[in-house]
Amino acid sequence: MTVFSLIIINKAGGLIYQREFQPGLRKLSTNDYLVLAGTFHGVHAITRTITPKLPYLATTPASNTSTTTSSTPTSATALASPSGTTTPIPNTTSTAATYMYPIPGVAATGLDSLETDKFRLTCFQTLTGTKFLLFTDPHMANVEPVMRKIYEFYADFVMKNPFYQLEMPVRCEAFDRNLNGWLRGRT
Amino acid sequence: MSYYFTILSPTDVPLFNIAFGTSKSGGDGIARFRFPDTAQYMNQFIIHSSLDMVEEAQWMNGNMYLKHIDTYPPASAYISAFLTPSGARFLLLHQPPQLPSTAASASGTSGSILGGSFSASALGGGSSRASASSVAANPTSPQTEEAVRQFMGEVYENYVKTVMSPFYRQGMEIRSSVFRSRVTAAGRKWL
Amino acid sequence: MAQPPRHAAMLSLSNSNSNSNSNSNSNLSTASDSRQPAHLATASHSSTGLRVPSNRKTIYDRHLNRSRNAELSRASFAFLFAEMVTYAQRRVTGIQDLERRLNEQGYPLGLRLLDLLFYRTISGSTSSALSSSSSTSASPPNRPLRILPLLHLIHGPLWRLLFNRPADALEHSVSPDTPNEYMITDNDPLVNTYISVPKEMSMLNCAAFVAGIIEGVCDGCGFEAKVTAHNQPTEMWPGRTIFLLRFGESVMEREKVLERAGVK
Repeated sequence: MTVFSLIIINKAGGLIYQREFQPGLRKLSTNDYLVLAGTFHGVHAITRTITPKLPYLATTPASNTSTTTSSTPTSATALASPSGTTTPIPNTTSTAATYMYPIPGVAATGLDSLETDKFRLTCFQTLTGTKFLLFTDPHMANVEPVMRKIYEFYADFVMKNPFYQLEMPVRCEAFDRNLNGWLRGRT
Repeated sequence: MSYYFTILSPTDVPLFNIAFGTSKSGGDGIARFRFPDTAQYMNQFIIHSSLDMVEEAQWMNGNMYLKHIDTYPPASAYISAFLTPSGARFLLLHQPPQLPSTAASASGTSGSILGGSFSASALGGGSSRASASSVAANPTSPQTEEAVRQFMGEVYENYVKTVMSPFYRQGMEIRSSVFRSRVTAAGRKWL
Repeated sequence: MAQPPRHAAMLSLSNSNSNSNSNSNSNLSTASDSRQPAHLATASHSSTGLRVPSNRKTIYDRHLNRSRNAELSRASFAFLFAEMVTYAQRRVTGIQDLERRLNEQGYPLGLRLLDLLFYRTISGSTSSALSSSSSTSASPPNRPLRILPLLHLIHGPLWRLLFNRPADALEHSVSPDTPNEYMITDNDPLVNTYISVPKEMSMLNCAAFVAGIIEGVCDGCGFEAKVTAHNQPTEMWPGRTIFLLRFGESVMEREKVLERAGVK
């Protein structure tokens, strides 16, 4: 049940938070962390783009007019449409109108987790595009509740703090204190 | 009985005032003061002159309702006071209607003597409109005190509602016509 | 299709917002109404430009105890307070200036709360919410005349009204030089729950807003005072805050007079 460290990346791919939770863990240099955050951000975007898509077998030829999308009853059309601004699919191209995701109605999420035999990296992306990367023991089960609690702390002690500026590095003493206290209480 | 009610801010700025008459025992709710119509400012004079008494009583008595605190014998005007915790003063001047006996007894300085003579006159002659009601005729009787207390309590409730309005700042004149009609209704109900 | 109803709803909203003071063109100015017959006062209700909400309910028709036991979302308060701090932070010259602005935001609240608190104590005669105050359920509470009852009022009923619990400590300054100083301690002020003050502003305590509320209550009761909020963290309570109340000269003089007069 070991949580090694946490990284938070803002929606532009910048590193805004990095903490280790195990004493004496070897640290990378600040620059390396920044590169790591930017690289992961790029890889995450690529994984979304390369999500396989199936050909969309529509009875009516898929048109590229934007007005039809909101009135079509199937969500698949809305998802695959290039003008579906309400659905979070950033990688739609003009040819995507005739393709759809394997499970219609579910947007591509991109990289969820990355596992080696020494550690597991779990990625959680909020609705606003902030990414939480959690480095844990590969044998640790139930990463999901830990992630959810971290998100809760973030929503409470970062987003409700009048001195926090959006997209800027997180320097909130109450966030650190509560996060550390909670993680220590778990082990 | 005629009434003149005023609300003063802690710094003695008049926030609200209204004149009305009794509605008990056939009263028509119209104020009939003893001063000529050209001398209505007398009410304000008398009420403001009682402020010294209020400020003296304010720190000796922790109640919000200070009861009858001042009398102005020449006009047989009685003043009851109510203090809100935030320092606003509610002052009610009540003046019994002119009676033949009033002029004689008004020379007495003590309110209780006056009150005694009034209740006596109320018991004696039942024909006149004012003397038919014991509440209206006797400004210092327990019934009157209780009626004034109820009146003040009801005004206080509406005052708190005014104060809680986000558009009201302390010390602002209360100009709401709803408030005015509420005070009028309270007067009709209790006085 | 959805346009007309939405518009109507907005209209009624704006009505309800302005009902409390939109009657400025009332024909009853205070200077003249003593000369007017009283019955005009009631008649004017319909003739003024007063706009009443569509459901005909003004603030005077709502009961003051309606929200007595209502609960407020902590998150929405936190967001609101965060915006208040951000607002106060605009064009400030320093930390003291920021604290002063927060204090000024709280001050009018204190004045209002005082009246509301007493009203609720009178009307809610069960007095369970105010059991620690000296008042009995039958008689209305007394206005505080001395410093100690005032402090108990703040420590108990006011804190319960605001935060649903009493404050954690009430102390008198031990120094003989400052007999006019009192301290109220809150181990974990609600307003600071989600706030982390940056290191370069470590002196700042956003509970200055609460200090302003206390100051409003003291001033409203006729106790001139300056109230400030200070950080005093402990291992157990990192957000512990002390509210320092400094009463003015006039209050201390009156206190001596009242003590001699035997007023409690």
